[in-house]
This record gives sequence, structure tokens and C-alpha cells, in this order.
Amino acid sequence: MTAVIEARDLSKSYGATRALDAVSFTVEPGRIVGLIGPNGAGKTTALKAILGLTTFSGELSVLGLDPRARRDALMREVCFIADVAVLPRWLRVHQALTFCEGVHPRFDRHRAQDFLRRTDIRMTSRVRELSKGMVTQLHLALTMAIDARLLVLDEPTLGLDLLYRRKFYDSLLNDYFDKDRTILLTTHQVEEVENLFTDVIFINHGRVVLAESVEDLGSRYQQLTLAGEQAARARALHPFYEREVFGRVAMLFEGRSRDELGALGELRTPSIADLFVAKMQEGAST
Amino acid sequence: MNTTFADPADRNSGGSQAAAAPALPPGRTLLTLVRREFWEHRYLWLAPTVVAALLAFSPLIGHAELDLPPFASAENRVALSTLVQWGLWMPLCVVMGFCLSYYMLDCLYAERKDRSILFWKSLPVSDALTVGSKVLVAAALVPLGVFVLALFTHLVFSTVLNLRYSFGNLPLLAFNVREWFKTEVTLFLVLLLSVLWYLPWGAYLLAVSAWARRSPFLWATLPLVLAPLLERMVFGTHYLWHFLNYRSYGIWTKLGIGHGGGHIISHNQVRPFGVLLYDLDFRGAFSDIDLWLGVAVSVALIYFAIRVRGRRDDTAW
Repeated sequence: MTAVIEARDLSKSYGATRALDAVSFTVEPGRIVGLIGPNGAGKTTALKAILGLTTFSGELSVLGLDPRARRDALMREVCFIADVAVLPRWLRVHQALTFCEGVHPRFDRHRAQDFLRRTDIRMTSRVRELSKGMVTQLHLALTMAIDARLLVLDEPTLGLDLLYRRKFYDSLLNDYFDKDRTILLTTHQVEEVENLFTDVIFINHGRVVLAESVEDLGSRYQQLTLAGEQAARARALHPFYEREVFGRVAMLFEGRSRDELGALGELRTPSIADLFVAKMQEGAST
Repeated sequence: MNTTFADPADRNSGGSQAAAAPALPPGRTLLTLVRREFWEHRYLWLAPTVVAALLAFSPLIGHAELDLPPFASAENRVALSTLVQWGLWMPLCVVMGFCLSYYMLDCLYAERKDRSILFWKSLPVSDALTVGSKVLVAAALVPLGVFVLALFTHLVFSTVLNLRYSFGNLPLLAFNVREWFKTEVTLFLVLLLSVLWYLPWGAYLLAVSAWARRSPFLWATLPLVLAPLLERMVFGTHYLWHFLNYRSYGIWTKLGIGHGGGHIISHNQVRPFGVLLYDLDFRGAFSDIDLWLGVAVSVALIYFAIRVRGRRDDTAW
């Protein structure tokens, strides 16, 4: 199957700031890709480029279309939730359903209604009368009723409490995701969703720092936890990151064999959050 | 959480096809877009409806001593009826003008201000169709709606008035189908001419609405005030001022409305409004080169608005 997103040398500057600096990556179908980076790393710019909402230089193909020229055609296959606040405040819930039904060939009104029935949202309410969590639920209901091939979510749960966040991701996985769909997701709450990802792309200062499937991460990166006194021996194997916790040292290695490290201490696959922090600090120190 | 998210790649509810979805017919999309405009900008239909209702039932309020010699004859009462037809149409058109000006200035700015533009852009609707739906609402649907509304306002007004006041055996406003129809045709032509003549004004406001980062009202009005002042101070000339004046009223002079009063009322005699159909120079006005130059400029401004909506990304995201 061909790639859902193929980006080559994407670049974009805002004045003197290089938001994207020759970024290249590929997203295969049926994956849940986490696009992770600190604030101002270029995540949002990359998403906007993918959605045809900004200009850029370089080559970009999304589902075989150039988003710059074909945003309207692309949106028949792509859904996105950019932020919780973007639903217009004057819109009534039933109007939102009617509108989506009237402009989107793949919108299934019954699906959206089924989803809304499980919430406290009433059809006659206006968006401005709903709580932030309910607005997100409404937006998700609209989005999930669209039979899209690519779903792009930028901080979809920002400002929501834990219960809503959990519900949001549960619905996303149970009701929506399947092997024909691809999800591209950015979030600051990496720990909460890291089990969700099949692939991760780390981005910092407009550059891709890491792009890997989660399976490959396990064989490529190791986290070694060991007592302080053995640290010198481990350090000889060049960890790219180390951190001291309660008198024990945690080190991250790239491309070392498990046998080599296993003798020195406790070995496991680093969490995406740990790997992210390590990669960002590695970038900062060099 | 682990159990919930376990191995999502194996999950398969099936049913989604990979084939590209065909677009909905553009007519259906356009209809939906138009409905959306009337949901969001309710004043477009509320304001004219409220004013029309007030006008239609105004004869119920107060009391008038009617002793108007010119309207003693039957023909004059027919003529009076057509004048009322025009007199009720006029305030509705003024209200509509204000509503539409505000609408054109607000419609593309509002979606950026409340950041809903990202929601609208997440749906498969092109910028051209979106902007086109707004132009369609402002240049065709609302004017047509107000025209029909004025028609009903006149019928209700006449009925109410005639029930309240009779003047001898004859109703005060005598209805004559032929004169009524001629008046409607005249008013329709004037409306059509107004839409075409003021289209550049609307398109200018639309372009400002798409372009201004903030305060679209100031961006739209200040240049129109400052530029003529500047011209006067720097060059001592008044070309811009005259141009703006011309774009405001020019077409009505060409139509011959400037001396229109004489057509209707003269020597204690009132002629029906429909005579203007022959007395005014509609042929000349509709074939006026400036009218169509203005339409061409409007098309360019609308195209500009479409491009700006498609290209700009200063939305707070």
C-alpha cells in the first residue's frame, strides 16, 4: 500500500524563525503516529501544511494529493480537530449535524447521533452553552461520523480533565480506529497516550529528531538502571542520556546489544516520554 | 489503560473503503452553505421581517384625520396605493442596505475572530464556494427576499388601512392589478440596478473582511474618509471626493430620479408610480459602462477575497 503522507524537505519560515527546516517523513496506512515535540518545535506548522492550511516549500503528498492545491478534495478523506475551541459558538448541535451532512459525502448522521446520545449534549443546545468537555465530545462525534482515511488531531484534549481525556481516547480507539485508517496525533500528555502509538516522530527546532515505529524503538533503544558505583563501566558504552533517581542511575543507549548491557544492571525498553526527554536534551547539549 | 490501548493496529471494525469518495453535488453543498449563513447572521432575515411587520401594522397605531382633496377621485386612490407600495419598499431597502453592508464586512472576519475557520476548513468545501455562498446571499437571496417581503407588507398595510378608514364608498387605497404590477416591475428594476451599482461597495467590504487582521470597520471606512482629505491637502483637488460621490448616487442621476418628483405629483394630480417605468431611463442605466465596470471590479475583489481566505494562516493555532 502507498504511504498516506509523504513529506520531502518541507520548509517554512515565519520571518527569521524556521518553523520547518527540510523535514522529511513518511506515514504508512493503518498507523497511529504521535508527532511529538516541545512548544514551538514546528508540530502545528507541519500539521497545517498536511491539511493545506499554509504555504510551504518542498514536496508533500497526502493521500496522493497536493494539499496546497486540493484542500477541498483532500478534506473528503481527511478529518482534523485542531483545538477544542474551534466550533463556532453560535452553532446549534442539530445545525452542526445538518451542515456536515450537507457538505460531506462521507458523513453519517446516525453515527454522530448515536455517539451524542451517550453524552449529556442536547440537540438544541448552542456550542456556547456547552462545557469545554462537551464541545470536544461534539467535535469528536462529528469527526468520527466521517468515514475518513486520515484523522489529524492537534492537542485534542487540551484543557480537559482526566475523565474526559480517557473517554476521548477510548472512543477514538474503540469506535473509530481500524486498519484502513491512519491517525496523526500531537499531544503534550505523552505519558497518557504512549501505549496508543504505533509510530512516533520527534520534532525539535523544525527538524525531525527521530522517526521510528514503536516495535523498532524496543530493539534500538535500551534503558539501563543501575547502582551509582557501576555507572562508570556503563558510561564507557556511551549512553546518550543519563539521569539520577534515588541514588540509582538511569541511562539510555542506542544500538547496544541486550547482552552487553544486561550484565550491568536492570534493562528495559525506555518509555516514549523518557526517550523524548532524552532526545530533546541531547539536541540541546550538542 | 494498557488493556484499552493494546495493539490497536490489529483492531478492525471493517467497512471503510479506501476508494476516493465522490464530492456531493455542488448544488446541495451550496444550499447547505446558504442555510449556514442565515443561521449565523440571523439579522439578515430578522431585521427586515421586524421592520416589515411594524410597517404593515402601523395603520393600527394612532389616528389620522383624513381630509385630502387630491385623493377624492378613484384614479388618485389607485395612484396613492402605488405610492404606498413604493413608500413601504423604500425603508425595507434602507434596512437591507445596512444589514448587507454589515454582513459583507463581518462574514469572513467573524470566522477568523472566533477561530471557527479551522472547523469550516476541515470540511470538503472550497474557498471559492464558501465565499460564493456569501455573495449569493448578499447579492441575490436577501434582495429577492426583501422584495417579496415588501410585496406582502404592502398587501397587509393596504388591507389594515382600508379596514380602518374608508373614504366615502371607496377604500382609501384602491387596488388595481395593472397599476400594482407596473409598480412592482419598476421597483424590481430599481432593486436590480441597486444590486449591480452597489456590488463594488459590497465586494470592497468583503475583501476588507477577508484581509483585515483586526478592526475591519476602521479599515473599511477610514481610507474612504482620509484619502479624499489627503488629496485635498496635498494636491488641492477633489477627484476622489467626486468619485466617491458618483459611486454613491451616480446611477440615480442617470436613471433620471433626480427630478423624479415631477413625474408623480403635479397640479393637485397624482400619477401612479408605474409611470416611472416609461419616464425613467432604465435602458440607459442598465447599459451604462460605469455600472458594468463596477461589476468587473467586484468580480476582481471577490476573487481577491477567495485567494486571501485560501492562503492566509494567521489564525491563532
